[in-house]
Order: sequence, then C-alpha cells, then structure tokens
Amino acid sequence: MTLRSGLTNPLTLAAIAILALLAVGETLSPGFARGDQIVRLLTVAAILGIVAAGQNLVILGGREGIDLSVGPMISLGAVIAGNIMAGANAAILPAILAATAVTFLIGIVNGLGVTLVRIPPLVMTLGMTAIVQGGLVVYSQGIPSGNAAPALMAFINRPLVLGLPGILFVWAIIAVGLTFLLRRTAFGYAVYAIGANERAAMLVGLPVNRIRCLLYGLSGFFAGLTGVCVIGYTGNSFISVGDQYVLSSIIAVVIGGTSLAGGAGGYIGTVLGAVALVLLQSVLTTLQLENYGRQIIFGMTLLVLMLLYGRQGRLRV
Amino acid sequence: MTPGEAATAAGGQDAALLDAQGVGKRFGAVVALSDGRLRVEAGEIHALLGANGCGKSTLCKVIAGTVAPDSGTIAVGGDVVQFRNPRDAEQAGIALFYQELSLIPQLSVAANIGLGREPRTGLGFVDRRRLNSEAEALIALFAGVAGAELKPEAIVADLTPDLRQIVEILKVLARRPRLIILDEATAALDGRQSARLFEILRARKAEGVSTLMISHRLDEVFAVSDRITVMRGGATVAQLVTAGTNRDQVVRHMVGDARIHPVTSQRMPPALAEPRLTAQGVRNARVHDVSLSLRPGEIVGLGGLQGQGQSALLQGLFGALPFTAGRVTIAGETVALTRTADAIRRGLAYVSGDRGRDAALTGRSIFENLVAALLVREKRRLVRPSELDPLATRHADSLNTQYAGLDAPIGTLSGGNQQKIFIARWLATGPRVLLLDDPTKGIDLAAKGDLLAIMRKLADEGASILIYSSEDAELIEWCDRVLVFNSGRIVTELAGPTLDHFHLARAAYGEAA
Repeated sequence: MTLRSGLTNPLTLAAIAILALLAVGETLSPGFARGDQIVRLLTVAAILGIVAAGQNLVILGGREGIDLSVGPMISLGAVIAGNIMAGANAAILPAILAATAVTFLIGIVNGLGVTLVRIPPLVMTLGMTAIVQGGLVVYSQGIPSGNAAPALMAFINRPLVLGLPGILFVWAIIAVGLTFLLRRTAFGYAVYAIGANERAAMLVGLPVNRIRCLLYGLSGFFAGLTGVCVIGYTGNSFISVGDQYVLSSIIAVVIGGTSLAGGAGGYIGTVLGAVALVLLQSVLTTLQLENYGRQIIFGMTLLVLMLLYGRQGRLRV
Repeated sequence: MTPGEAATAAGGQDAALLDAQGVGKRFGAVVALSDGRLRVEAGEIHALLGANGCGKSTLCKVIAGTVAPDSGTIAVGGDVVQFRNPRDAEQAGIALFYQELSLIPQLSVAANIGLGREPRTGLGFVDRRRLNSEAEALIALFAGVAGAELKPEAIVADLTPDLRQIVEILKVLARRPRLIILDEATAALDGRQSARLFEILRARKAEGVSTLMISHRLDEVFAVSDRITVMRGGATVAQLVTAGTNRDQVVRHMVGDARIHPVTSQRMPPALAEPRLTAQGVRNARVHDVSLSLRPGEIVGLGGLQGQGQSALLQGLFGALPFTAGRVTIAGETVALTRTADAIRRGLAYVSGDRGRDAALTGRSIFENLVAALLVREKRRLVRPSELDPLATRHADSLNTQYAGLDAPIGTLSGGNQQKIFIARWLATGPRVLLLDDPTKGIDLAAKGDLLAIMRKLADEGASILIYSSEDAELIEWCDRVLVFNSGRIVTELAGPTLDHFHLARAAYGEAA
C-alpha cells in the first residue's frame, strides 16, 4: 500500500526520474553529473521553473486553464528589458519592472477574455500569442536592439554565494513564496477551490472571476520575469526567444503532478519537473540528438505522462 | 416490439389505446415504481397525478421507452409491446414532450420540428422547402397567441422560453402520434397559449388521438381531462372519471391515510420578535413576485412540487441567482444581494442537496472543504491549519460525522457524511439565516435525524431557517409553517392544523388553503 502509493506519487516519480537521468548522463558522458555541470543545469532549470510557476497557477485554477501565450510574453519581456537596460547596470530595476508590468497586463487581458467573455483558455491565449508576436515585430522592427547589463548577466551566470548564481536564490525564494501562498493563505485555498469545483467555490463566496483573472496576470508576470532572465542568460535577445518555453513549461507542470483538470498539485512538483525536463534535454543533447528529435521526445513525454496520471486519477476516485 | 399472443384476448371490442399493468422499476435499492397501472382509451385526455416521488415520471418514461421496466406489461391497441428505446415507442405512436427542452438551440424552428424525419429531395438531400412549409402549417395552430417571431426560419436560441416550449409541442405533434405525453407542457406558457394547446388537444381527440398529461395545476386538470389516474408511493391508487369526482377526493387519493396531522414538537418561536429577513416582491428567472418574512428562531418550509421556484428563491436570497426586482431586508436593513460573499458576511448560509454540483471541492481534503466559507466570512488572509483544526473537528463532530481524519479527501466519505461536512462548513461561520435547498437528498435516515437535531438547536439559539424539501413529511415534521409554491409564486401558507399531507398536496396543485 505505502510502496504503491509512494510509486504513484508524482513527487517521488519525478525525484526518481532525476536520479535516473543523472546516472544515464554520467554513464554516457563521464563528468555529466559534476558539480559545475549541475549548477549549469539548475540555472537553465530555474529559467524554465519561473515561467512554469505561472503556468502552474493557471492550470491549478481549472476550467481547462492553460497559458499558451507565455512564449511571446517571454520574448516581449526580454526585448523590453534589453531596450531599457541597453547594457547599463543602473537600468536593471526599471527594466525588470517595465517588462513584468507589461506582461502582467497582457495576462490580465487573457484573464478577462477567459472569465468575462468566456473564451476557452486555449483559444484566448493562442490568439494572444499571435497578437503579442505581431506586436513584437512591429515594436522591434524585427531586430531587437537592446542588450543585457553586465551585472544581470553576472547574477545569472556567475557564482554569487556558495558557488551558486543569484538566479538560483531567486528561484528558491519563488518556490518557498509560491508554496506558502498556495498552502497557507486564503488566496491559495481559493485557487484550489475554484480549480476543484467552480460553482461550489462561487457558493462559498469566492470571487471566482477575479481570482482567475489574477492567475492569468501572474502567469504574465512570471513570463516577463523569465524574459529578463533569458536576456541575462544569453546577453541579447531575438523575437522568438521564448517560443521553446510554451510546451516545456506545460510538461514541467505535468511531470510535477499538477492535474491538467485543475484543483490538484503544487509548485514543488513543478520545480522537480523543471529539473527533470532540463536533465532529459541535456541527456538528449549528449546523445547528439538533433533539435527535432528532442521535440519528438518532449511531445511523447507529455503524452505518456498524461496516460500514466490519467490512469492514476481513475484509480484514485 | 413484439406482439404477444396473450394480448389478443384483450384485443376485442374494448382494447385500450394504452394499457399498462403492474409496472415495476427499481433503481438500486430505491423502488421508484411498484405497481404502475394506467389505461388510456383512444380519443381521451387523461391526467396522471401524484405528489413528488410517487412514480408518475418513471411510469411515463417506461411508456415512452426511455426506461426499461423490471416487471409488468404494456399493451398498445391490445398488443403487448416491449420498448427497447424511445424509437420503438415512437413507432408505436407514442410521443413524449420533454420537460427539459430537447431542442437544438442552433437550429431553426423548422429543422427542430422535423429533426430525424426530414423530407428528402430526389437526390437524398433535405428538402428545405417542404420542411419549412410543414413547419409553417404546424405553427399556424398557435396563430394569434404566439409572437410573430415564431417562424420556420427562426433560430430556436433566439426565441423566448414560451415560444421554445411551443416549438417543443409542435415537434411532438409533427410526429402524428396516437398518444401524446405532456409532462408539465404548460409550465412556460401564458394563459392564452395554454388554452390554445388544450383546444388543439381536444380537436385531436375527435381523430382518436389521446393525451396523457402531467400537470401541477388541478384547475387545468379539471378543465381539460376526461379521466384521472392517481399515483402514490410508486403504485396506482385510483382511476377516476373527471366528471364524477372533485378536487378534494383527488387530493385524498394522492396522500392516502397520511393526511392526519402528525404531532410535532411544541416549539413556539418568539412571535413578537422583529423579522430577521424579509423579501418583498422579489423576482428572478423562476421566482415571480414572492414576499415573505422570517423571524429569529423560526423554521419555515418551502413546499410544492419540484421546480416551482423554491430553489431559485433560496439562491436568490443567497446572491447566487440575483433578484431582478423586489426588496430584501436583513435585520431591518435593505440589502442588495448580488454576490454570495455579501450574503455570507451578513450571516446567510446555503446548503444544497446537490452536493456534487454545488458543494464538493472534489479531490480536496475534508479540512479544505470545511473551512472554505469561514475564510470568506472572516476575510482571513492567512490560513493556519493548526489554529483551525480544533474548530473544524468540533463542528464535524457536533454532527456525528464519521471520518478518518481532516486530511482525507472529501470523496472518501459517504453521501450523508459529506453532507454533514458541508453543513459544518456553514456552522463554522455562525450563520443567522440558514437556507437549506433540499438538504436531505440522498442521505440516510440517521443522517437526516442528525440534521433535524442540529436545525432545532440552531433555531433554539435564535437562527432563522428557510428549508425547501421535496419530501412533504420533512416539511410537516420539521417546520413551524410552510409556504407552498406553484409556478414561481407562493399559493398559500400552511401552519398548525392545516400543515398536513392533505393540505400540502392540495396546495401544491395550486389550490389555496
């Protein structure tokens, strides 16, 4: 009983997957699991983990919640931040504020479309993807001009304390903060409630639409923040830099055991999911699999997980 | 369907159009129908009556082929038949009017009327011209009483509820049935439209077409029907000729011997206290001009047949189905109840009998389910389980709830214990007005007893309770007085000596006390 429930617990599964991937990587390419390599992997996982935080919230809130527009919002965040910073350390804070404020508002528009106009989230955020992508081309004239400030690049790429870069501490703070929000605040309880049964949530007095709007806004905020991290990681940006995060942010959430139906799951699982996914990507790179090969594996991973968890859900009734 | 040999004996000179004998049907442990008998002659209008849960709807479903009976025989025109599905029944000339509209909103009136039996052109395509002209001819039946918007090309979704109901009726008539089953067909119609419908049905009588009507209005039944079948407790108890009976006699058959006023507890609410809650002329989708007042310590019931606006009133008072007109006061102050949070913070609580739809936070723990309303009522920002655990345990235990622990998922509990958690959810908010919407649906007797005990206790402590129940016995036993609903209005108020099965059933059918 305990063994079985342990094995079907997504957190345990994700942890096992992480260890197995590390072992496979080390076997294929000795040095794969070395300390500095792991820090490198965690940095990449942190960037994915931050956008997946928003995706996680939107999915938890239910009613087929999903945010496909995180890709272009990341790109937009990176471009805005790059333009404002223009290589100057003094402009880092305004750059972060501007990038996240704009993407937060875009997220709120997603939320209004989903709640007030009742557009299905898939369609609403897909439409928003096209709008933001197009707007980004107009805004940047196709060639983003800005670049990251040196201090931001150092914060993300260089060791800060204990040999770890600053972004890992930011991620840790987000993980603790979000888990606290979900488990110890009335807002978190409300998110699970509307995800579990929207009508029942309305009947216990929760402002269902307002909460759901806010979740989409937060998804935008985290996407914008991810955009800032992306430009800090690579130094400059291009207008489709965020596209790869759409599918992977959803997979990270699902690996972590959050139900796509809403109302069940949490962020710790998503953190493990992000790490496992980045490890998988890295192992596939070690195998010298081309990008399209990785895409196939990613897509299959998502579908296999849906199969496994779907079955588990039925058993759990 | 298979014609049986035995039936030929009955197929002589007086073979009825429909003859159902000894029909039984159980759903799990619940016996919905034990001895359903119904005999409808050719060319008559026949009314089928009974209180909530008497089995009349199940019997209709058996006749229309949507429910397979466990026992009994059904003969159509003297031939024993076995319907495997509604299509079999339709081919035997039986058409059922669906109370829950069966129309496809996106399609036109003509397409809905002809659905499934569209005329074809030589090439096999739908012959739209004929489809529309056939619809046109049917619509003409309601000329003068239906609005001009009712046209063959009109899209059903754009029509008002009464016109949609007329389309539903026309859809039944279009099938040229020998037996028309109308279950509450006049619910959305105005007086002239109902009158026209009955004219049409009378005209069909001459052609040998019969109608079986289920209605919640006795005046309608007595104005239109030729004969009446009364059911009680899953069995047919009387088959009457309308002209040879009267309303009281019919109601007596509906309630049987249970009409003696039961001895209830002698609790007397403080009659002089100011009302805690009043409603004046409130309206919403299913409530039409309702006024009431509720004093502290009072348990007031909402009676009547199902779906007469009782639930809509409770949801309106709770802000879940806001009123479009009228005035509500709480403790003398006029309030606008447009959001449930407003109602909760004013001390209102709403318990629904439809737990899966209205209450269960599926997959979440008992704890989360229990504290959900408290967090809203107290406008809490932080949740400390260690602080709330004792409170949650206390409220769950006060209802004798059986559960393994507060962290177990809500779905691990039985229906009755789940309902206790959802009641505990509201007890935790210290409600002053409890709105109970058929709260005992699907829970066992012991749990009902616990619910009654907690209601009495809350009332003794000064809470006001407004309860709708689909079981008349609960209203009689539990309530100080009962407001009986019919078609979204309160038709009468019963209390003291008049609060019994007889008066409840009579009032439910629209008769004033």
